[in-house]
Amino acid sequence: MTSSRESFFAGLRSALVSGAEAGEAPRPDPFPTDDEVLARVTAIQKLIAEQAAELMDELAASAKAGGWVVHRAANIEEALGQVVDIARGLAVTSLVRSDHDVLSRLGVDGPLAADGIDVTKMAREDSEDPSSHRQAAIDAGLGLTGADYAIAETGSAVLAAGQGVSRIVSLVPPVHVAVVERGSVVPSLDELFTLLRQDYGEQDWASYVNIISGPSRSADIEYTLVTGVHGPGEVHLVLLDEGSA
Amino acid sequence: MKNRTIANLDHYLEQFERKVTALGAVVYFAPDAEAASKYVLDLAKARGVRTVIKGKSMISEEMGLNEQLTEAGIEPVETDLGEYVIQLAGETPYHIVAPAIHKDRHDVSKLFQEKLGTPHIDNIEGLGKEARQQLRGKFIVADMGITGANFLVAETGTLGLVTNEGNGRMASSMPRIHVALAGMERVVPTMEDMSMFLRLLIRSATGQRISSYVTLVNGLRRPADEDGPEEFHIVIVDNGRSRMLADPELREALNCIRCGACLNACPVYRKVGGHSYGYVYPGPIGAIVTPMLTGLGDAKDLPFASSLCGACKEACPVKVNIPRMLLALRRDLTDGKKNPNDKRSTLAERLSFKAWRVLFGSNALLGLSVRIGRLMQIPLVRGGVIRWLPGPLSGWTRHRTLKPLPSSSFRDRWADHLKDADSPGHRQ
Repeated sequence: MTSSRESFFAGLRSALVSGAEAGEAPRPDPFPTDDEVLARVTAIQKLIAEQAAELMDELAASAKAGGWVVHRAANIEEALGQVVDIARGLAVTSLVRSDHDVLSRLGVDGPLAADGIDVTKMAREDSEDPSSHRQAAIDAGLGLTGADYAIAETGSAVLAAGQGVSRIVSLVPPVHVAVVERGSVVPSLDELFTLLRQDYGEQDWASYVNIISGPSRSADIEYTLVTGVHGPGEVHLVLLDEGSA
Repeated sequence: MKNRTIANLDHYLEQFERKVTALGAVVYFAPDAEAASKYVLDLAKARGVRTVIKGKSMISEEMGLNEQLTEAGIEPVETDLGEYVIQLAGETPYHIVAPAIHKDRHDVSKLFQEKLGTPHIDNIEGLGKEARQQLRGKFIVADMGITGANFLVAETGTLGLVTNEGNGRMASSMPRIHVALAGMERVVPTMEDMSMFLRLLIRSATGQRISSYVTLVNGLRRPADEDGPEEFHIVIVDNGRSRMLADPELREALNCIRCGACLNACPVYRKVGGHSYGYVYPGPIGAIVTPMLTGLGDAKDLPFASSLCGACKEACPVKVNIPRMLLALRRDLTDGKKNPNDKRSTLAERLSFKAWRVLFGSNALLGLSVRIGRLMQIPLVRGGVIRWLPGPLSGWTRHRTLKPLPSSSFRDRWADHLKDADSPGHRQ
């Protein structure tokens, strides 16, 4: 294996030398220092707090354009009502959900169960196998999550997988519902990446992050759009105009 | 930015390797397609893999991986809707973004009926649903998921995947082993750099503001994670890319982000279609990349299959100067500079062009040669056309007939015309 790596880099380096134009020797840019990153992060956090209302409005418009069904909720109670209404409207018998804080604050489990819906929280005990909740997701009619961030420009919900957040809870069921809180909406991808880097630090980036911008789509046959080929064909964004702090 | 990255490719690749290895992934650097295939096959065999689900990966096409997996008794399943259709039909992709765009709903329905035994489905939504049903079962049983990689972020060891259907998410979430195949030029320095390229790629590829899913894989799943593969391998492939890197004039082709915009803009591609290019990468960029990756040989005619109209350069979001590189490739191929055994022009051809330069450079010589030609063609003209030329010229008449030289040239007639005009009684 080492020999393959060595011959790879030997070939690469000799090509770099022979293909370099005379006088051209651009050195790599240094990566940003911790202080620079921290300054950027602070500026972004200030911006998204100050402009939370405007960013929420922009997100509502771009998400709608991107194929989300958008629901605005002034408070926790309204948001809970909307989540229950969506599940009821679809007549789902079972759903899977993540362990996001916002869902606990909404208190979704009781009202959904009262509606006769079987709710599985995809959070395993240490002793359980990582795929133990997989079948529940495959059988579920709906996947319910929070969101770590949302992006105003692109109409996206951002979900980092990890403890309490399965990779497939927002992917495998035919419908995905994500609850976005005020104050978590960033203007664009650029700010998102800066914040994500800060959240997870040097070694501990979330293992898996998805930027979700509408339903699963394909235009592979006749350039005609169809939704739900592999991921959810129907997606709802519940925008909660009340922050967690 | 991209130029700087490419010029320091070794630095950024090693940085990526360091980061992602610390996060529990395994990196394998493959000098060529064979080494990459061997790695994936050995891994699949060692882990007792029986079914492989595949997201879209052009590298896997470069490797001819599906054939090799099948030979080894492992079932490869393409999951991108277009690729799935192509695989069922036993074809190769027609377009890098929309591989099955040459088939309409009726073709696909017929294909599903023949291969899957489904009833006739006459709407595209129904076909999509059918594919979801068929492929869902495969995702559940597959032991290995293979994806491509749109970006490798050196700073963080992040793999960036851009998809619309969700199959890339499936392939990197469901099976117990995830293997990502990446061309070595996919590396970018920072997350912010990826952000910029994401915008360019998505807008040019599909005209969307953003694709449905941008997936960032940061190493192996952490112990506390709910789910995710147990093993994560990244195979970084050279396979002829260093040949491009070694050529100052062609290095720019590595800036390509594979968005397909040049294909859509190209009048030649639109006329002849993707299969005519004979390899994984069709269209204008393919006419440069293919001869470089496959080492000329059969691909040496590709750089000549362009009108050099420049539409590709206009369409390119990273402004890769494709016409300039096509010209450079043509020159090198003609001179035999790229490969002495593969010199395109023959001695006779070069002598003819020398003679052509002398004759066409002089009025008197041109006139004389035309008169000689007229005499020499007499025995060859049959029924007003020339159907056969002798010796080295026979190639010209193998698939077509030639018009004989006319009995008088335009110059002769123009001279006569002037004479007539000067004569008395002719109205101006």
